[in-house]
Amino acid sequence: MSEKSRRAFLISSATGLNAAWVAANLPEILAAQDQAQQAARTGHAKLSFFNEAQAAEIEAITAQIIPSDEDPGAREAHCVIFIDRALSGFDKSKQAVYTAGLEDLRKKVQELYPGAAKFSALTSEQQIKTLTAMERTPFFTVVRNHTVMGFLSRPSHGGNYNKVGWKLIAYDDSLNFKPPFGYYDAQYENEHKA
Amino acid sequence: MKKFPLNSEVDFVVIGSGAGGGIMAKQLATAGFSVVVLEQGGWGKYGREHEYNKDEWIQLHLPEDQQLMSDPNRQRNTFRRNDREKAKPGNHTYGCVVGGGTVTYGGSSWRHLPYEFKEATTDPTIPSGTGMADWPITYEELEPYYVQAEWEMGISGRKIDSPFLAPMSKDYPVPPVPLKSSGALMMTAAQKLGLTCVPGPLAIITRPYMGRAACVNCGICSGYGCQVRARSSSAVTMLPLAVNTGRCEIRARSYVREITTDGAGRCTGVIYFDAEKKEVRQRAKVVVLSANASESARLLLLSKSGRFPDGLANSSGLVGKYVMYGNGVTATGLFEHPLNEYKGVVSGAAIVDFVPSDPKRGHYGGGRMTARGYQTPFELGLNGLSPGTPHWGAAYKKALKEEANHRMTIQCYVTQMPLETNRVDLDPDVKDEWGLPAMRITSTSHPDDIKNMEFFRQKSIEVLQAAGATRVWAPPVGDTRGGAHNRGTCRMGNDPKTSVVDKYQKAHDVPNLFIVDGSVFVTGGRNHPTMTIQALAFRAADHLVQAAKKGAIKTSF
Ligand SMILES: Cc1cc2nc3c(=O)[nH]c(=O)nc-3n(C[C@H](O)[C@H](O)[C@H](O)COP(=O)(O)OP(=O)(O)OC[C@H]3O[C@@H](n4cnc5c(N)ncnc54)[C@H](O)[C@@H]3O)c2cc1C
Repeated sequence: MSEKSRRAFLISSATGLNAAWVAANLPEILAAQDQAQQAARTGHAKLSFFNEAQAAEIEAITAQIIPSDEDPGAREAHCVIFIDRALSGFDKSKQAVYTAGLEDLRKKVQELYPGAAKFSALTSEQQIKTLTAMERTPFFTVVRNHTVMGFLSRPSHGGNYNKVGWKLIAYDDSLNFKPPFGYYDAQYENEHKA
Repeated sequence: MKKFPLNSEVDFVVIGSGAGGGIMAKQLATAGFSVVVLEQGGWGKYGREHEYNKDEWIQLHLPEDQQLMSDPNRQRNTFRRNDREKAKPGNHTYGCVVGGGTVTYGGSSWRHLPYEFKEATTDPTIPSGTGMADWPITYEELEPYYVQAEWEMGISGRKIDSPFLAPMSKDYPVPPVPLKSSGALMMTAAQKLGLTCVPGPLAIITRPYMGRAACVNCGICSGYGCQVRARSSSAVTMLPLAVNTGRCEIRARSYVREITTDGAGRCTGVIYFDAEKKEVRQRAKVVVLSANASESARLLLLSKSGRFPDGLANSSGLVGKYVMYGNGVTATGLFEHPLNEYKGVVSGAAIVDFVPSDPKRGHYGGGRMTARGYQTPFELGLNGLSPGTPHWGAAYKKALKEEANHRMTIQCYVTQMPLETNRVDLDPDVKDEWGLPAMRITSTSHPDDIKNMEFFRQKSIEVLQAAGATRVWAPPVGDTRGGAHNRGTCRMGNDPKTSVVDKYQKAHDVPNLFIVDGSVFVTGGRNHPTMTIQALAFRAADHLVQAAKKGAIKTSF
């Protein structure tokens, strides 16, 4: 993403108070994002199905499916790494959907924004428009489901990096619990102790 | 494990290793008979249960020999609403592994109530023209076997005296599971509404019992194998005991395609496909069919011969008929504080006031309302958010964060009447992966069943509101298309013209064929069939062992 489009993307994707905060803190955010990107690219297993350009496009889609706000989203969860591994492993059969889908995406971007370089270079608003136009395609459905599963599966499969997905849904993977489990059983036991 | 030579004749061959088959294998082997159990599914993690997987992504992609459920692409089946329709590929699945459905089941272990064995003659709300009939046995006859099943399998629960619960001569061996937040909310709502909410009996042990560990409330429960062996499946209770006698061999990945008979009309054994799809013959003095209600009926229909042109044990023409797959009704509510339903068993509490039918409701039907809220992370993220929530984007993420851990669902398990037109038979066109005619399911619930579901839908909404839900939704009621709660395809009865097996589950037409699984149900109870399948199995085994020892059934004993 070019410096200009990243700026535009970041500001356009923030709203209200957030937008002001983003504008004021832009240098720090960009630096942090660079680090995150590097972690995604270099700190992890190499891509095995996508090339870098494809990965950037897919990552941008995942980041619209589960956007980053005050909580990490699909980008920080490394959902694209999960998808890359899925397509070289259990979901080999879906490779063709991705290859064709990326081509359809390129065409859709051209149709809606003639002259735009690629999906990941669009502003967030443009990306949302593009994806909304593709929402009912098998490609989008597959990416959407992969993104959700990548966000919420065990980190060992490449996504849910640092368990950010599980943190969002407050899921604890200890697999060993003692009561009280939640607010209402704790309250009930308290009231019925006497 | 004992291995019998392939060409030898054993006393009993048991087809299927699930709820019914597991108990038969154990009871027959401990009584001194030789037994071969043939199971079409794989071993799962039999004997090394700690290796069971709790990883959702992996669970979706288990290799063929490690799957726990049947696969509708291999165990193909078709579905249609009625005879006028052409059946289309269906999605009926069931537990398919050593241990059958009990390896992955939720474990709800409700007994039938006494009147559920004689509703046809005592319940004035039953409309005419249904297949409702009285069972040939009473609750009192079965009660000791319920106790035996609860104590031998290991069921947790609490004996409570209530007109809405079956009377018990003995308490459960271990106490009920701890209350979850969904259960606590249901208790609170029930108190407000004057209803009865009780802890549910579960085939999940809460204390060490018979050498097995207590449940650790891991939360990745129904649908998954249990790593600590707390779920009282056939695979960790009955089958190891059967094998330990040295007289029982279990053969996994062994798919029976025919029960063979001789000129005198007696079973001689079975023919099955082994893992390499090679045909193997197993001779036996007696055949016990425990392949589940749908597959047992299909296998009888596949076992045609000159003497049995319409399928084995089918002189009544009723094999496959009166199938009940069961219906469910759900409503979900959101609550202010976290429930953390991802911890613990699927469901621990139930409202039982509407178990009996009530003329005031204007239709036949009853059911149990169970409290739950469990959703795996995938289930929540892929499809589990409130209706109207976008599937992606900022609003999706917001809902994901806000609704996770804040929801509870009431799932109602309700009556479905047996109807002669609802049935399992052989699809005339579609074949399974082994080239055998696929199972065809024809099913439409009676209009009273649908009215009953609507009643429970409304009640569920009321209860959630009384519990203080901030938002409630309930999908429209739908009608079943198959599933693992299948019952009733070889009903038991005293008259060979109107039933397939007698009251000891012997086929009326074949003196050495016994059917011991969900097939024999005359009526469906309030769904959740397994405890009754198990009690019936202990009873059938008792009778079979006595008859065999007396020489009434020829074995080598
Ligand atoms: C996820 C899940 C949750 C459930 N929860 C509950 C619950 O909470 N409470 C409840 O009461 N019930 C529950 N059930 C249903 C329960 O599992 C069944 O009622 C019960 O297991 C049926 O017992 P059965 O003996 O009739 O057959 P099963 O236990 O299904 O066993 C039949 C076995 O026969 C095998 N078989 C079939 N055909 C052949 C053949 N031709 N050759 C060789 N082997 C064959 C099958 O692979 C299977 O292993 C649940 C089921 C599932 C899948």
